[in-house]
Amino acid sequence: MKGFKVLLKKEICEIIRNKRLMILMAIFVLVGIMNPTIAKLTPKLYELMSEDFAEQGITVSAVKVTAMDSWSQFVKNVPTVLIVLLIMFSGIYTTEYSKGTLIPLLTKGLSRSSVVLSKLAVMLLVWSIGICLCFEITYFYSDFYWDNSVVSKLFFAAFCWWLFGVFMISCIVFFSSFAGSGIQVMLGTGAVYFSMTLIGMYNKAKEYLPVRITDSVSLYKGEYEPKDYFGAVIVTAMLSFVFVLVSLPITHKRQI
Amino acid sequence: MNVLEVKEIKKSFGSKKVLDGVSFSVPDNCIFGFIGRNGAGKTTTMRAILGLLKTDGGEINVCGERARYGCTPKSGCIGYLPDVPEFYGYMNAHEYLKLCGEISGMGSSELKTRISELLELVGLDKEKHRIKGYSRGMKQRLGIAQAMINRPKLLICDEPTSALDPVGRKDILDIISAAKEQTSVVFSTHILSDVERICSCVAFLEGGKTAFSGSLEEIRAVRGNTALELTIVEPNDIERISSAFPDGRVNDGKFILPQASEKDCADLMAFLSAQMIPIARLERREADLEDLFMEVIGK
Ligand SMILES: Nc1ncnc2c1ncn2[C@@H]1O[C@H](COP(=O)(O)OP(=O)(O)O)[C@@H](O)[C@H]1O
Ligand SMILES: [Mg+2]
Repeated sequence: MKGFKVLLKKEICEIIRNKRLMILMAIFVLVGIMNPTIAKLTPKLYELMSEDFAEQGITVSAVKVTAMDSWSQFVKNVPTVLIVLLIMFSGIYTTEYSKGTLIPLLTKGLSRSSVVLSKLAVMLLVWSIGICLCFEITYFYSDFYWDNSVVSKLFFAAFCWWLFGVFMISCIVFFSSFAGSGIQVMLGTGAVYFSMTLIGMYNKAKEYLPVRITDSVSLYKGEYEPKDYFGAVIVTAMLSFVFVLVSLPITHKRQI
Repeated sequence: MNVLEVKEIKKSFGSKKVLDGVSFSVPDNCIFGFIGRNGAGKTTTMRAILGLLKTDGGEINVCGERARYGCTPKSGCIGYLPDVPEFYGYMNAHEYLKLCGEISGMGSSELKTRISELLELVGLDKEKHRIKGYSRGMKQRLGIAQAMINRPKLLICDEPTSALDPVGRKDILDIISAAKEQTSVVFSTHILSDVERICSCVAFLEGGKTAFSGSLEEIRAVRGNTALELTIVEPNDIERISSAFPDGRVNDGKFILPQASEKDCADLMAFLSAQMIPIARLERREADLEDLFMEVIGK
C-alpha cells in the first residue's frame, strides 16, 4: 500500500510535468463552454443563412433553442474528449514496460499490483475531475441562458457517461497487461467498442451492453427511465472490475 | 557466508540455449567480476538473480533466501544497475532518489542524509537539471546511487563501464571500490583491465557455462608461471623462432611463450644470440586475465 501512495504521487507529478493534465483539462473546460455556445449561436447561424435559403425558395421558420440543444451538444462532444483522453493514456503502461524505467523500482520491492493500480487511479482521477468540470460548466451556462428543467435525468445521464469512461479506462488497463505498445492497447480498446456496437445492432443483448448507457438523449427526452439502464450499468461496472482484476495476475507474469 | 549462490541455472530463448548450467558464489565483502563476451549471457544471468526472468532450471540463493521469478528477493537485499539505465526524464536526481528511497521504505530524515551522501559520492550533488539532459556517464552514476540507496547487501552492476570514456570508467570503478566497504558487488564486464583493477573474485562465462570461477589469487596460482613476450625487429624471423619453440604462439607480431620457466628463458636467449636474430624487446610478464580468458574460450 505504501508503494501505491508513493507511485500515485509520481504519476501525478508525471502528468503535470509532461503537460498532459493541462492539455486534457483545457479540452474539458473548452468543450464545457462550447456546448452551450454552439446552441446559443445556432439561431444566429440560421439567420445569416436564411437569405440564401430564401433565394432558393426555402423559408426557415424561427428556430427556438432550449437547454436540450446545449445538452445534445454535450452528448456529441464528450465521446471526442474521451477518445483524446484514451489516446493520451494508451501508452501509460507499455512505455514504462518497454523502456525499463520500472526495473529499478521493482527491484526495490515495489509490487506490480501497485504499478497497475496507481496508474489506474491517476487515469480515473483525471477522467472524473474532467467530466465533472465539463458537466458543471455546461450545466451552469445552460441554466443561465435557458432552463435546465426541460431536460430530465441530467445527473443520471452524466453518471452513465462517467461510468462508460471508467469502463474504457479499464480496457486500457486490461490490454496493457499483455500488449507490447500503446498502439496495440488502442486497437484492443477500439475493438471492444466496435464489437459492442455490432452486437448491439442485431441482438437483444443490447439492453445489457455498456454502449447502452451512452444513449443520453432518450433519457433527456424522457423516453427512457433510469431503471431501463440499470442492467447495462451493472454489467458495465462488473466488466470494469473484472478487467482490472484479471490484469493483475497477467501483469504479474509479464516479462518486464 | 555467501551473499549470492547461483547453482546450475539454465535458460533458453526459443531453441537458443543461452545459459546451460551457470554456477558461482559470491562471498561477503568482495568485488566479483563476471566476465564474458558480448552475448555470453551476463545480463540474462543477472536478470534471473533479480527475479526478472524465469529460468528453466537451477537454484539461486540471495542472502540465504531462494529467489523466484516475479518476486524481488527480500527487500533491501539487492541493488541493481541495469546495463542501459532508464529513469524518469522529468525528475532531477534528487527527486528520483527520493522516489527510490520511499519505495524501499526509508524514513524521510534518514533518506535526506542518505541522498546527499550518495549524490556527493557519485559526484552529482551540484547537478540541478532534470535527468532528461543527462549524458550516459551521468546516468550511470545516478544508476549506482539509486542501486545503493537502501544500503543493499549485494550490488549488481551490469556492464557499468562499457559505454564510458577512460575518465568516466575510472570514476565509476572508484565509486564501486568505495562501495565495497558496505556491500558485495557483482559486476559484469568484458573489459579485463577493469577486473584486474578492482575485483577480488572472478567468474568466466563461456558457452552458457561458468568456465572458471575463483579468486584472483587462485587464478594467479593456477597460472603461476610468467610468460615471455618477444618483439623482434625483422618480422620474417618469427617463423624460425616459432618452429624452434612450438609451445609459443604469435600474437600481433609478437612471439609469446606462455608458462616459461627460467630455463625456457635462457634457452630462448641462447637461441636468439646463436641465430643472430635482432630483437627490439624481450619481456617477462605475469600471466594476466587475458591469457586465461583466451585459454578459456579456446583461442
Ligand atoms: N528476451 C530475449 N529473447 C530472445 N533472446 C534473448 C533475449 N534476451 C537475451 N537473448 C539472447 O541471449 C543471449 C545473451 O544475451 P545477454 O545476456 O544480454 O548477453 P550479455 O549481457 O552477456 O552481452 C544473446 O545472444 C541474446 O540474443
Ligand atoms: Mg548485457
